Amino acid sequence: MPRPEHNEITLTIDGRDVTAIDGQILVDAARGGDIEIPVFCYEPKIGGPVGACRMCLVEIEGIPKLQTACSTPVKDGMVVHTQTDRVKGAQQSVVEFLLVNHPLDCPVCDKGGECPLQDISYGYGGGKSRFIEPKRHFVKPLGLSPLIAIDRERCILCYRCVRFSQEVSEDHQLVLLERGASTFVATFDGHPYVAPFSGNIIELCPVGALTSRAYRFRARPWDIEGSGSVCNLCPAQCNVTFTVRDDRVLRVLSRDHDGVDDGWLCDKGRFAYQATHSDERITAPLVRDGDQLRPATWERAIQVASGIARHPGAAAAIVGGETTNEEGLLLGRYMRDTLASHDIDSRQGGALSAGVLRELARTDLQATVPDLEFAHTVLLLDADPVDDAPVLDLRIRKAARRNDTQVLVASGRPTALDARAAVAVRHAPGSAASLVLALDSALSGDHGAATNHATDAGSDLESINALADALKTGGEDVVIVWGERVTDGAGGEAAAKALVNISTTLGLGTREGSGLLELPRGTNGRGLREVGAIPTAGPGLSNPVTVGRSTDQIAAAAAAGEVTALWFLHADPTRDGRNTEIWTRAMASAGLVIAHASTLSPELAEHATVVFPAEAGAERDGTITHPDGRIQRLRKAIGSPVDVRPAAAIIARIAEVGSGVDLGPATGPAATEAVSAAVSFYAGLTVDEIGGRGLRWQDRDAATNLPAGDLNGESDAPVPAASPNGALRLGTYRSIWASPEVELSPALKFLSRRPTVELSPVDAERIGVIQGQNVDIGTGTDALRATAHLRSDVPAGSVFVESGLAAPGNLPSEGQLIEVSKA
Amino acid sequence: MAQIDEDDIILVQRGPSPTVAGGFYRSFVETARGLKTTLFKVFGETQTIQYPEEKTPVYPRFRGRHKLHTFEDTGLEKCVGCSLCAAACPADCIRVVAAENDPNNRVSAGERYAAVYEINMSRCIFCGYCEVACPFDAITMGHDYELSDLNRSDLIFTKEMLLAEPIERTPLRTEDE
Ligand code: SF4
Ligand code: SF4
Ligand code: SF4
Ligand code: SF4
Ligand code: FES
Repeated sequence: MPRPEHNEITLTIDGRDVTAIDGQILVDAARGGDIEIPVFCYEPKIGGPVGACRMCLVEIEGIPKLQTACSTPVKDGMVVHTQTDRVKGAQQSVVEFLLVNHPLDCPVCDKGGECPLQDISYGYGGGKSRFIEPKRHFVKPLGLSPLIAIDRERCILCYRCVRFSQEVSEDHQLVLLERGASTFVATFDGHPYVAPFSGNIIELCPVGALTSRAYRFRARPWDIEGSGSVCNLCPAQCNVTFTVRDDRVLRVLSRDHDGVDDGWLCDKGRFAYQATHSDERITAPLVRDGDQLRPATWERAIQVASGIARHPGAAAAIVGGETTNEEGLLLGRYMRDTLASHDIDSRQGGALSAGVLRELARTDLQATVPDLEFAHTVLLLDADPVDDAPVLDLRIRKAARRNDTQVLVASGRPTALDARAAVAVRHAPGSAASLVLALDSALSGDHGAATNHATDAGSDLESINALADALKTGGEDVVIVWGERVTDGAGGEAAAKALVNISTTLGLGTREGSGLLELPRGTNGRGLREVGAIPTAGPGLSNPVTVGRSTDQIAAAAAAGEVTALWFLHADPTRDGRNTEIWTRAMASAGLVIAHASTLSPELAEHATVVFPAEAGAERDGTITHPDGRIQRLRKAIGSPVDVRPAAAIIARIAEVGSGVDLGPATGPAATEAVSAAVSFYAGLTVDEIGGRGLRWQDRDAATNLPAGDLNGESDAPVPAASPNGALRLGTYRSIWASPEVELSPALKFLSRRPTVELSPVDAERIGVIQGQNVDIGTGTDALRATAHLRSDVPAGSVFVESGLAAPGNLPSEGQLIEVSKA
Repeated sequence: MAQIDEDDIILVQRGPSPTVAGGFYRSFVETARGLKTTLFKVFGETQTIQYPEEKTPVYPRFRGRHKLHTFEDTGLEKCVGCSLCAAACPADCIRVVAAENDPNNRVSAGERYAAVYEINMSRCIFCGYCEVACPFDAITMGHDYELSDLNRSDLIFTKEMLLAEPIERTPLRTEDE
């Protein structure tokens, strides 16, 4: 659906001429003209109006009865009154009615001081009540979930929370039970309301009925300060406000940004701030002393780490996704220019050539987040937004619900959006590349090639054709959301080229609202690529002098003794579950292992030579780049513990002590300017220009500096999917909850993951396990024990193992066959 | 000393210098007139109060050192840690950190209680706004005005200090005073 057209009209509100958009809701139009109409239930983020609270009554000339401004669209020439005696009388009555059953226990209520009901009662109420009968009573407070407390006495039945659950997150858990004065909010089955986005209802509730248990009684609005930043826990990079009291983060609120998050947050982003103040966090540098890591002074830690200068040409760096552009650029410079090593990688699944990366970054091929909402078709390629970039899941649901966007899914593991999908195609785990090639062939009419690739992908021509037909006939605006894992492995380069081909065939480059949107694994995956923290490209996706090793190659080289110093900047490769065994050997044989971390996996604890404490999200400064090219600023909300320093400053100091080189500004606005000087298409960008809302580099003039791409390089064919022969095809997934921050946050601890494996019921029956029983994945001493979770939409022959856990076990790579047996 | 810039010097017009008679008048007659009241008081009733041996009695509604109250019957704290006093305080000297009551071991009567309640007496201006703001009459102003100390940090009164019965060391004014 193309974006709606806006016709301006003029109406009169309280004698003032107000310009509005035809069909806009009267409340919004009035706000645009600086006239406030009080509302409770109206919240355009949730969807259409319901008219439940009657707070917004106004008088409209020509209509005899008072009208609800939240459900009346404006028309040209409309004459509205919001200040007449009739309106005021109605407002006073509504407030009196709302307060009939309201306990008014503001002093003990967490909403006090920031409560719309308080504000509106003061502003529009009559100041007295005629109600002397006993009020209704509920048991209070109750836990609606481990994260949310519900006080039903305070509920004014505005339906916001219920509508969110039904129409925005579509988890369909919250309902209103009973009728009339006995109505109350509950989950249908009485179970706790646990869902990835449940925390949003706390922010939506206009009274103190739904409050955060983590924030409960922690502070009052006058005790706190809000500090705007960006959540750095996943690539969705939602805009947040940290609530700070006494230099501690107490709460995270959404900082509505239509271009990024649409005003929502996932529960990880909302509650994982607690990890910042966890006792288990590393807050001082550690240096190896015999077989133990012991706290050390900064001088000593830097001294030990600067030993990296003694490994020229044999040092390698793995850069984690939460690293900022400034840190990535600085480390890349030091590695390449001073240490003469080109082995730096921020991707996990292998490298793409610079030419292909530039092609994928083409401005005309880039879809934005709002494009998702107005596209005719959204295709998900081996990506499940709810785990990869949670808040985008809500955006796609919104598109499907409100704008009838056609959703197509092609993935290995069943996704949360399958139920919404017009066509859902399954491929073998790790065979997304073959599927993309098949789709490319099908779209260009080469059925022979399509059949071969489809078979390689563990799918069939029929499904591919269904997908291709739906893409061709579903409307011109197509957004393809693809997960980074599409370009993993041998066939990655070919898959990336096929993606560009598909875009050309579908004409995505020629339309404003179409394009590709990659979901990288790491928060700042895109930015790190653009500043050159990859082996195949320098800053600005330029062709490198020498192509370095990718993550897997670094592991192999280190295990073989070719790489002798390893630098893990906010990365812990053993936690990703890829090649754990090789990585453990690599770390053991490396002479120097530098890590920046907040917590240590057992392998890092055993092998790291020096560990620098990492800054928490709320302590960081710098810029990160959103998957759609929006450069956003992380801003320091609180001070770090005394012994925690910015990673960029550490890198600069190591370079100074070890190699005697000055890397230039490491922190502050000057460091951001160094990034814009190094990346051609960021040219001239300053922190002031980025501002609080960020901006997409594609929208700036410097975007034309992006060098032309190159699709002519050699590329390998993807490995055909193995056919399951009793053993199952191995797939992995990283759940939204699989992260150290979740494990460290007391509020989220109940969600932290234990090793789980998703099985199809068919395979489960064959192996003889039922839901919740333990299975062994692999054989012998290497076997990983995990709990079986049966999912009917997992295709028979495939098995999906949870990754991203502290002890991931030693698994072969995706797509290979593995024995699964009852434990 | 630094050079003074010519532009920074402003000339001030002086008044005309007085005549000899005028000067005499100013020095002696006007001075004596100014001292008249003082001189008369020297021979009047003594006004000085011999503090600390003697103390000025205070009115019943005098606003002195605060007191936090408990319920007489249950012994629970009246304060629920709502922070309204802190919001009202113009000197910003109250710090409240609330916490949730454990139903089996209640501190206050409500859902929450003040885990930390501090008043910085060296900043307090004794306006009584906190008393007015409190919805539970949990905090009131007492009569004690002897709050000096040798150490500023000792002037931060904690919840325990404010809950404790203050020593009554200030005489209350009687009816007829
Ligand atoms: S919801 Fe608002 S009005 Fe009701 S008790 Fe809480 S603060 Fe007071
Ligand atoms: S709990 Fe809050 S959001 Fe939900 S219906 Fe009641 S008042 Fe509205
Ligand atoms: S008396 Fe006034 S200044 Fe002192 S604590 Fe109370 S409100 Fe603050
Ligand atoms: S003293 Fe009164 S106003 Fe202050 S926190 Fe306690 S209950 Fe609230
Ligand atoms: S805001 Fe209009 S009826 Fe609730």
